[in-house]
Amino acid sequence: MSSVQTVVDHSALKVNQTGIVATVLIAFVGSFFSTLFLALIPLLGIALLAGTFVPKLAPFKQLYFKVLKPRGIVKPHPVQDRPEPHNFAQGLGGVFLGIASILLVSVPVAGLAVALLVAVLAFVNLAFGYCVGCQIFFQLERRGLLRA
Amino acid sequence: MSAQLWALAVAGAVVLAATGLESFRAWRGRRLAAGVSAAPAGEPYILYFTGDTCTVCKTHQEPALARLGEVRIHKVDAVEERDLADRFHVYTLPTTVVMAADGRAVHVNYGYAPAPKLVRQLADARGAALRSAATA
Repeated sequence: MSSVQTVVDHSALKVNQTGIVATVLIAFVGSFFSTLFLALIPLLGIALLAGTFVPKLAPFKQLYFKVLKPRGIVKPHPVQDRPEPHNFAQGLGGVFLGIASILLVSVPVAGLAVALLVAVLAFVNLAFGYCVGCQIFFQLERRGLLRA
Repeated sequence: MSAQLWALAVAGAVVLAATGLESFRAWRGRRLAAGVSAAPAGEPYILYFTGDTCTVCKTHQEPALARLGEVRIHKVDAVEERDLADRFHVYTLPTTVVMAADGRAVHVNYGYAPAPKLVRQLADARGAALRSAATA
């Protein structure tokens, strides 16, 4: 097994997942009152995709590193881990939210359903530590389709 | 019914279908991997399939394996040792396989397996070895 020397702060991941779940829920509940709330879904998709390629643009992670961690609101939880699967999972979430945003224009039910599924997967990761995107990363890496 | 409630119903149906599919895949994997053999040993042991990308392995599975005490754990990188992983139909990480002393797979766990479950399975593997010796 190749030696793992990088450390990932899992608290930053948890804050990110909490942000995803909360934003989708606000968009979903808010859409009962005004369709303007649905604009949060493409915004979240853009934020996740931007954060995947430029970590400084990840809003929830920045919230953690700039506010929550320095003020001691959320304690750090460093784990010897690889960041690539988590970034891949975040990017996948961004892609699906992009698809949801397109569907929201033509088939709102499907768009909302896809956005809710992204929130469900983020919640599963947050609550049970099971990262579906990381499992997909493992399968692709195993088949030689992806290299970290 | 409003679009939001339809969306909720669709998302719920997809989650249920995915859960069913996952259960079927695990059942099929367990059925295919049961009885597959690997290297024999003097005592039951655990084949532990893991990988660099597996976070649950580090945060949950490895502490659970450490609680087992004197049991031999054979750690396998599922990406690097693909043939062995394929033989046990490893589709998710972590995967733990409880092997009997004769090198036969007795229990296969896809996903995190807590320590008490592994202890029960190891006891079963020891029993299987005794039964096999008694009938030989």
